[in-house]
Amino acid sequence: MSEPVVVDRATKRFAGHTAVNALSLSVPSGIIYGLLGPNGAGKTTTLRMIMDIYEPDEGSVRLFGQVGGGRTHSARIGYLPEERGLYPRMRVVDVLVFLAEAKGMSRRAARIKALDWLERLGLIDWRLRKVSDLSKGMQQKVQFISTILHDPELVILDEPFSGLDPVNSQVLRDTVVDYRRRGKTVLFSTHIMEHAEQLCDRLCIIARGKKLIDGTLAEVKRTHGGQHLIVAFDGSQGAAQRIFSDRRLVAKIQDFGQQAELELTNGADPQEILRGLVESGARLARFELASPSLHKIFVDLVGPEAATAAAIPATTAAGVGAGA
Amino acid sequence: MHKVWAVIRREFVERVRTRWFWISAILGPVLFGGVIVYQIMQSVGGGVRDIAVVDSTTSAFGRRVTEALAASPNFRVTRVPAGPRVIDSLTSLVEAKQLNGFLIISNDLTETGKAEYRASNLSLQTVEGLERALNKVAVKVRLETRGVNPAVVDWAQGIRITLDQTKIARGKTTKESAGESFILAYVMAVLLFMAILLYGVNVMSSGLEEKTTRVIEVLVSSLRPFQLMLGKVAGAGAVSFFQFLIWGVSARLLISLRVPIARALGADASAAAGMKLPHIPFATLVVFMAFFLGGFLLYSAMFAAVGAMSSNEQEARQAQQPVTYLLMISYFSIIGLTNDPSSTFARTLSIVPFTSPIATPVRWTAGSMGVGELGASLAMLLIGIVAITWVAARIYRVGILMTGKRPTMKELVRWVRA
Repeated sequence: MSEPVVVDRATKRFAGHTAVNALSLSVPSGIIYGLLGPNGAGKTTTLRMIMDIYEPDEGSVRLFGQVGGGRTHSARIGYLPEERGLYPRMRVVDVLVFLAEAKGMSRRAARIKALDWLERLGLIDWRLRKVSDLSKGMQQKVQFISTILHDPELVILDEPFSGLDPVNSQVLRDTVVDYRRRGKTVLFSTHIMEHAEQLCDRLCIIARGKKLIDGTLAEVKRTHGGQHLIVAFDGSQGAAQRIFSDRRLVAKIQDFGQQAELELTNGADPQEILRGLVESGARLARFELASPSLHKIFVDLVGPEAATAAAIPATTAAGVGAGA
Repeated sequence: MHKVWAVIRREFVERVRTRWFWISAILGPVLFGGVIVYQIMQSVGGGVRDIAVVDSTTSAFGRRVTEALAASPNFRVTRVPAGPRVIDSLTSLVEAKQLNGFLIISNDLTETGKAEYRASNLSLQTVEGLERALNKVAVKVRLETRGVNPAVVDWAQGIRITLDQTKIARGKTTKESAGESFILAYVMAVLLFMAILLYGVNVMSSGLEEKTTRVIEVLVSSLRPFQLMLGKVAGAGAVSFFQFLIWGVSARLLISLRVPIARALGADASAAAGMKLPHIPFATLVVFMAFFLGGFLLYSAMFAAVGAMSSNEQEARQAQQPVTYLLMISYFSIIGLTNDPSSTFARTLSIVPFTSPIATPVRWTAGSMGVGELGASLAMLLIGIVAITWVAARIYRVGILMTGKRPTMKELVRWVRA
């Protein structure tokens, strides 16, 4: 089976700047693929080129082994754009049916599916209400339903987690994972590395329109490895900063306040650091030897100025105390 | 094609579901019914005017005028001798609505032909009635003073001339008065203008809505922009046809029910039955529909492009002005067209695609247009539609994805050429 998405040296320029520069990537079938990059890296432009919204100035896009972008294959693709939007004055069920019809689905089948999904996501009582009567979160759900209503083989999600509360975020994650289990392909963009780390089988990091690295999550971690240590404090940090600044042990540090990720120098002994921390009076919540987080790799690759645009990890803080 | 249908259906259903559609659907027949009821009421005696004649003549002239007016079924007359404060008290009676108006006559009348009428409502019909009556009496008095026998004068004035009007148009002659075809042409032109403007603007705002709500991105990844534009234009067109259908059917119904309505209002049913209705030949109806459709396609394509290149309502309002002006040209020339439908001006308007949707039906109704000229006008309109749609679709294609600042003329040209 040919790969669902192949982008071949695609370039897109807008008045004065190059948004995407000779970018190539290929998404194999049946996986979750993450397109990562800081804001303004060219993620949305890339997805729009795949979806036939923009035509690449150079290079090409092939979907399912055939020339032509998303519009030609709209029945097989579900697309969730970065800027969400539905017809505010239409009834929920009518919007869903219309958007499915626009992708080539029959009216009747679309209706059955729409009601089925509304039931599943707890919106069935709202089916005859206007979209504008729904809360923002509910509208997000409706939009997500419209993306997958026609049971596409390939789902393309542009920043799917932005604006979602934790509960809906979890619903989305479950659906995405379920999708892959059923042999479908998911391509999504994000600038939040933790989402990517949890979900992606393969990923591609881009910045300023260029690809920096791509491969499986394990490959990326291996090539940008080094021994990493995650330290989280429980209140007092003691004289931890003194130990962290010891260049014999620590090559690089990312300090998040209550948590820090250290890249150790070659041959440094983590036990020495643990001893030092305990002696310094620091109270530890977590002391864990780890492969580098994707966030760390990301910051290393795109540079600190881009990292400020990226979010600070929120989810790892929840994983309390492995080794302390 | 299935996709275009989906767009058409959505456009139609969502418009027809709005409150505004039904308000205007009901308002049309209500207005029309009002006109019918008004005409019936007029025939019942709403037309009788209570007037006073302020007489300062020293001869029997004032009395004769009063008698002549009293003989008409349209007036109830009282003669009041002129005196101090008479005018004031009559004026207050008029203001209190106890009197429709009063006529002031003096000895001068038979010399200068001048008299005065003051009333709360100066309707053309009343004034003409008064003038006719005064004229008759004045002529009679003048002839009598020169010794003509009053009986001879009565006999001479006893004739009334009516013109039997026949229209020669396209090799046929029809019994139709100039007034009738003028009114028909005028009403048609106004209807066309309003329908094109209202429903064309609908196409614009619908495109703009998709842009501002960002639905457009999903749509464009499933449909070609041209399919979307086509669906919108056809959908809005279907809505306006539906509106016309409601108006047409209810007007037909009201006309066929005019006798019972008259009876219910206690009016003379035979008068209602004999009410004059403009006769619309089938060919005129076809021409009207064809040019409405053509005009609608032409203008809504332009409005679609305007909607696509604007980012918000204000911008769209500004950008639509040139398009509206084009339509206004035809609107403001309706009077000129109906006055002289064969002038070079009228011929020009009916050949230019931007004005022909209104000008051609008007000229056709007025009977000053041959089939050959009609064909040329239609052909030009079709060429115009194809050209404008092509340009509009190109602007639409690029414009719907643009946000931010409004495109300059130079950018628009680039979009079209890209």
